Amino acid sequence: MVWGEYPAEFNPKVHGPYDPARFYGKKDTPFTQVRLRELGSWLARRNKTPRAATQAVSRAWWRWQQKYLLPEKMGVAPFIQIAVGSMAFFYLINYTKYKAHRTQKYHW
Amino acid sequence: MLSRLAARSIRLAHTSSSASQAAASATPATTNEERNEVDFPRTKRPIHPAPVRMGFIPETWFELLYSKTGVTGPYVLGTGLITYLVSKEIYVIEHEFYSGVIMAMMAAYGIKKFGPTVAATLDDQLAKEKEEMLSGRNNTIKALTEGIAASELSAEQAKGQSLLFQAKRDNIGLQLEAAYRQRLQSVYAEVKKRLDYQLEKSNVEKRFEQRHMVDWIVQNVRQSITPAQEAASLKQCITDLKALAARA
Repeated sequence: MVWGEYPAEFNPKVHGPYDPARFYGKKDTPFTQVRLRELGSWLARRNKTPRAATQAVSRAWWRWQQKYLLPEKMGVAPFIQIAVGSMAFFYLINYTKYKAHRTQKYHW
Repeated sequence: MLSRLAARSIRLAHTSSSASQAAASATPATTNEERNEVDFPRTKRPIHPAPVRMGFIPETWFELLYSKTGVTGPYVLGTGLITYLVSKEIYVIEHEFYSGVIMAMMAAYGIKKFGPTVAATLDDQLAKEKEEMLSGRNNTIKALTEGIAASELSAEQAKGQSLLFQAKRDNIGLQLEAAYRQRLQSVYAEVKKRLDYQLEKSNVEKRFEQRHMVDWIVQNVRQSITPAQEAASLKQCITDLKALAARA
């Protein structure tokens, strides 16, 4: 396992300084512009190794950071977003406990 | 000469402004042909974060739904979703919910009250740090621009030297003219002095001759007057006087 190295497709002469939020691989149609009939082939083209998944999550985290946390005059939004996100996540993983605390038996 | 100076200063300002424009638009020192500036532009650190509504909901979500559902779309979506989750008890209102509500109210109050002052303090600190980090670069830039201005000024002054030499040449010409005229004047004075001397000499001679001649004549006449003539003339004078006295 190779840790801490740049992705293989990154070339400093072409791409300039490394930006962790950018994908340096082969360009593909963005997910929001994929037609429904092309969805199967699009998913087949994805790189489904754990390493690629980790890299995707890392890029998404860096994109969020560069948008809300790293600007010079950041506001309070990232803290609230993290709080709300962790609230939602922990509610989800404890859902069975909350389900047991329902006050009504029948719902509309 | 002043019009020459004005034309020179205008030409200098024109060349310096064009030189600075060329320097500003010039590419960095090393040109890399492979660098793909279009697809992979250099990332800049943004100054302001993306706008959010109600503290944490990104504005882009509202803009996405605006074309289909107008202004109230996202709010209706949120309200409907919350109503659905609460009424079906997918989101169970537990005892922790109320402590969460109170915590949210306290957080909102704290943010509203202390947000601006904290932001101002942090902005000051940020500005100081930025200035510290960029001080070396900015100082070098300032020193170099001042050096450029100083060297341009000295070039301008060097050009002015030729004017100075011309002025000095004219000055020396004037001095030579003045010396020449002074010498002419002294020559004239000397010549006049000599001529005046000659004139005075001739005048003195004439006067002397005249006086001498008169004295000599008078002396000779006096000598020629014999005593007999003198007695006769005396008698004649007495008779004349008597005649005059008789008439008066």
